[in-house]
Amino acid sequence: MPKKKKIAVYAATGCRACEQAILDIHYQVGSLTRWAELSFWPYILGSEWKKLEEQSEIDVCFFTGAIRTSSDRQAALRLRDKSRLMIALGACAAFGGLPGLVNMAPSEVRKESREETNGPNSRTREKGEEPNLPRMEERVSALSQVVDVEYFVPGCPPRQNFLWAAIQAIAFETESPVRLSFSALRLPQAMAQAITSGVLPPKGSVFSGERAVCASCARTKEKKQFKEFARPWQKDPDQGRCLLEQGFICQGIVTREGCGGVCTAAGLSCRGCFGKTDEVFDPGPKMVSAVSSTFDSDNPIEIASTVDQFVDLAGTIYRYTLASQCTLLSSP
Amino acid sequence: MNDFEPKILAFLCNWCSYVAADSAGVSRLTQKPNVRIIRVFCSGMVDPSYVVKAFSLGADGVLVAGCHPGDCHYISGNIKALRRSFLLKKLLSELGVEEERFRLEWVAASEPQRYVNLINRMIEEVRQLGPNPLRRSYPSAEKEKNSRLRSHGL
Repeated sequence: MPKKKKIAVYAATGCRACEQAILDIHYQVGSLTRWAELSFWPYILGSEWKKLEEQSEIDVCFFTGAIRTSSDRQAALRLRDKSRLMIALGACAAFGGLPGLVNMAPSEVRKESREETNGPNSRTREKGEEPNLPRMEERVSALSQVVDVEYFVPGCPPRQNFLWAAIQAIAFETESPVRLSFSALRLPQAMAQAITSGVLPPKGSVFSGERAVCASCARTKEKKQFKEFARPWQKDPDQGRCLLEQGFICQGIVTREGCGGVCTAAGLSCRGCFGKTDEVFDPGPKMVSAVSSTFDSDNPIEIASTVDQFVDLAGTIYRYTLASQCTLLSSP
Repeated sequence: MNDFEPKILAFLCNWCSYVAADSAGVSRLTQKPNVRIIRVFCSGMVDPSYVVKAFSLGADGVLVAGCHPGDCHYISGNIKALRRSFLLKKLLSELGVEEERFRLEWVAASEPQRYVNLINRMIEEVRQLGPNPLRRSYPSAEKEKNSRLRSHGL
């Protein structure tokens, strides 16, 4: 029996659905502990930091959540220090996620709320003192903006097939049972080959498809033209017709495929939780271009009134990616 | 703020606006020197990504100029630019770039004076606004490459 790989799981600022997603890999969850040792997982095992300090090295760290507070940053640095491989799990760790939307607030507002939170309760703790609230950082960052990250598993939360592929490929490495065919089929070729042949995929690999969500969406695209823009609760989408041409902001065209188009299949427009595809420079202007090209008018006044219907455009387009993929606002 | 010289990036269409700018030079019309011109084949090919990238690299204003509606060399390229401009302005202003920093204008080949008035006015307006709030230091090639990698989430 080969030595079990040591795994750490940690959640920074997030909703912990990514950690639930690890437990949600169905029957495979039983074999998780057969092939790997869960050495540090505060959420499930109640591990304390001193438990991490006791260990000489962690093989794989699954880090979820965005970096928002000083304790998030500290955790990221400590885990990076201990871990051989660091994996950004979920949209928050990979791109900044929903907490990253805070970066859009004017800096005075952010400063104010920071000062409120960073009150007397949140100064640095002296030895032996009761713990306090951690300090808020000026900006929310993705994990890769704070420490070096080996792999990314995007999604909100990550899909089971990619998560399982990532766990098998990274945590089990060569001891992996050959049950990868489904995941390997959907992964980019280079990664699939690496996984099935038992070597690690190249650094920086993203566990998802390479193309856009439209590639796996079953809806038919006819003529993309609309005058009325709708939010999901405002009208019921037609069956089988492209959501964008019905006036919903569907981000499938700029978003990485891999989810299998589950949202669009259920009639919800794509929210972009897999981040942008490699071919897209910035999802914002690309979506602007795509949505504008569907306006059915040559008249500036009519176009302006259509544009007025859009609510929180930047927040919609950069819902999960503002902190790291918005060229104008991501930190240099 | 007095020594602030705005940097304006202008995307000029090959068939109308660029000819007007050229002709303005030949006619020795007085222009302020704050404009950097990029000649494109049509205002319709200026992807919103170009504008966003220009602002992220420190442009204080971006001008896109094309043929008057109906005069487009490619029939409807300028209308495509027009359709995009509204939503792009909305996105830019939500991200903190004032709407006035981005302009889409029509300049025919025979209108060098209009071009000159336009850029001189725009330079003054942008000067009033001050430097681009999202301006960063100009990246070196190495930094640029890294930031591109980062923007891919790598």
